[in-house]
Amino acid sequence: MATSALTRNNVSVSGTGTVALVFIHGFGCDQRMWRLVAPAFEDRYRVVLLDLVGAGGSELAAYDPARYASLQAHADDVLEVLQALALPRVVLVGHSVSAMIAVLAAIAAPALVERLVLVAPSPRYLNDAGYVGGFERADIEELLDAMDANYLGWSGAMAPVIMGHPERPELAGELTDSFCRTDPAIARHFARVTFLGDNRADLPRLRTPALILQCAHDVIAPVQVGQYLHRQLPGSELVVLDTSGHCPHLSAPAPTIAAIDHFLGAAPRP
Amino acid sequence: MNLPEDEEPLPALDLRLTQENLEDLYEHAPCGYCTCLPDGTLVKLNQTLLGWLGYRREELVARRCLQQLLTVGGRVHYETHCAPLLLLQGQVREMSYLLRRRDGSTLPVLLSAVLLREPDGTPLAVRVSLFDITERRKYEQELLRAKVQAEEQREQLARANEQLRAKNEQLTRINADLDSFVYTASHDLKQPINNMVGLFEELRRSVTFHDAEATQMMCMFEDALGQILATIDGLTQVVQLQRALEQMPAEPVALQPFTEEIIRSLQPLPAGATFELDFAAAPVLRMARPGLHSLLYNLLSNALKYAVPGRPPRVRVRTTRAPHATVLEVQDNGRGIDLQRHSRELFQLFRRFHPEVAGTGMGLYLVNRLARQAGGRVEVDSTVDAGTTFRIFLPREDEASQPPAGLTFASPPSSLSEKGRGSQLTR
Repeated sequence: MATSALTRNNVSVSGTGTVALVFIHGFGCDQRMWRLVAPAFEDRYRVVLLDLVGAGGSELAAYDPARYASLQAHADDVLEVLQALALPRVVLVGHSVSAMIAVLAAIAAPALVERLVLVAPSPRYLNDAGYVGGFERADIEELLDAMDANYLGWSGAMAPVIMGHPERPELAGELTDSFCRTDPAIARHFARVTFLGDNRADLPRLRTPALILQCAHDVIAPVQVGQYLHRQLPGSELVVLDTSGHCPHLSAPAPTIAAIDHFLGAAPRP
Repeated sequence: MNLPEDEEPLPALDLRLTQENLEDLYEHAPCGYCTCLPDGTLVKLNQTLLGWLGYRREELVARRCLQQLLTVGGRVHYETHCAPLLLLQGQVREMSYLLRRRDGSTLPVLLSAVLLREPDGTPLAVRVSLFDITERRKYEQELLRAKVQAEEQREQLARANEQLRAKNEQLTRINADLDSFVYTASHDLKQPINNMVGLFEELRRSVTFHDAEATQMMCMFEDALGQILATIDGLTQVVQLQRALEQMPAEPVALQPFTEEIIRSLQPLPAGATFELDFAAAPVLRMARPGLHSLLYNLLSNALKYAVPGRPPRVRVRTTRAPHATVLEVQDNGRGIDLQRHSRELFQLFRRFHPEVAGTGMGLYLVNRLARQAGGRVEVDSTVDAGTTFRIFLPREDEASQPPAGLTFASPPSSLSEKGRGSQLTR
């Protein structure tokens, strides 16, 4: 490996505890998405944040579209991070597409991953015979168009910021605006991998206990999808959070924290 | 900027303009406004936005959310990108979306929004402004199309380049193999031929022929042997020169003494032969010395060899300046070459145009190879029975970017294209 997994995935570690909570962000943003949730666990857990390759502060050059054509490559990355940190006990917390990345990682290394927290998960976004995913293929093409329309100014203005120019400190200011932005070609590719993927066949292979955190009103991962996952993952827990949208860790951080606490068997917070 | 104390008061305005009704401004502003709950539920919309959408207020307020006014793709983008940003940094700017009207048609808009919070930090509401960008969007889409096209072309180009590079590598390899083959072949042929020469000498001394024609046949045989030896020597020379040149650096060569030296080596000169040298335009050339020597030697000796019988050879050697090259020119008044017929084979190995004159067909091949190796090219002008002019175009020292020796030879054998009467170019 040319670079260490920790640099490649822009890994940051905080908190203390024997169990590590590893947070994996979803499509469209980076590890900063966990800002309202992750710090709440630092007093009892080691908290590990990372950026998927292609997102945030990861090494963009490592994004080889052929390698990252399936979620398995991201799952392998996560496992490399776990090994690099030599964490003895791990709980993976994955949002959106990364819920499936966490599932794949747990299937590949069941001894390494103790539990899973799946935040707004979906094993397949497209509708299929007898399955409601929520989207048709044309919708995903529309999403790619919407991404293109929003990336017009990227190449020229953002590239130097994202690529890192320590000799130009004036760009640091712009970086705050680059929040959750990434190379449009990578974002486009990742969008395809995410929304056209199908991981339903992997579900029966999972042996790790999982918590499914379902938003009550989520157009990306509708309630039917959460229920489907709950049926397919025996022994899983399904908690429906009374919130709208696809990001309960932002829209309802307190109930999200409480649900994870409860799942991990922690004493109720004061 | 501070205004001076004595600044004149503002001129009196018609106050009806400044006392504009704020409610009316909100409703009919030239942009769409709406306010939503943090989850996107619509609370308030202005008339402009309702007009764009074709909905009545009561159809939307408290019943629909902002995301539902977008296309499905836009909605996914909003949920995965815009909504998180709003909650994380309190605002989003210039998000490009399509609004879905009541009648199903779409309206491109730019969306900016700010998040209002309660004193304890809890998200309270989102204020959204929307700008109609129908015209701008068309232009942007053209730009996007052009960008996609440019990228496709760049990929095609990269593929073509890669193919060229591979081809080039292959040719370089083949060329090296050929050189090595020629060297081995000439080396291996030399021994048996030398044996034949020895045997022939022995034969001539010890055997007596009775047939009168035999003596003539013996002469012909000896000529043929000599020809084979010369050819093999020539081949060896080509390969050895090539190998020597690969190690020989280019150096400045003063042309006047250098050329005079070559002319001396051509002694004895045919009766009446004259040389005119004029290197005023470029007295010094930068080239590997053995290469330049071989090049000039071949051109000058050709000029003498292919003289018209009975016409004293007159050879002019000079340099001139071309826009990006120094030109070394050798002009004779000899037999000339029928370029209409021979242009394509002019620089091919063993090709001969005047079989009545002894030669190996190596000279022009070498000249062309040497010129190319120096990063240059050869042009030929010729008129049958009047004479030939060779022009060697060499890169100017001040702007020379000499290709690596290996690559120069990777180009396919010279092909000449006809260009006007008797004027030939090699590229």
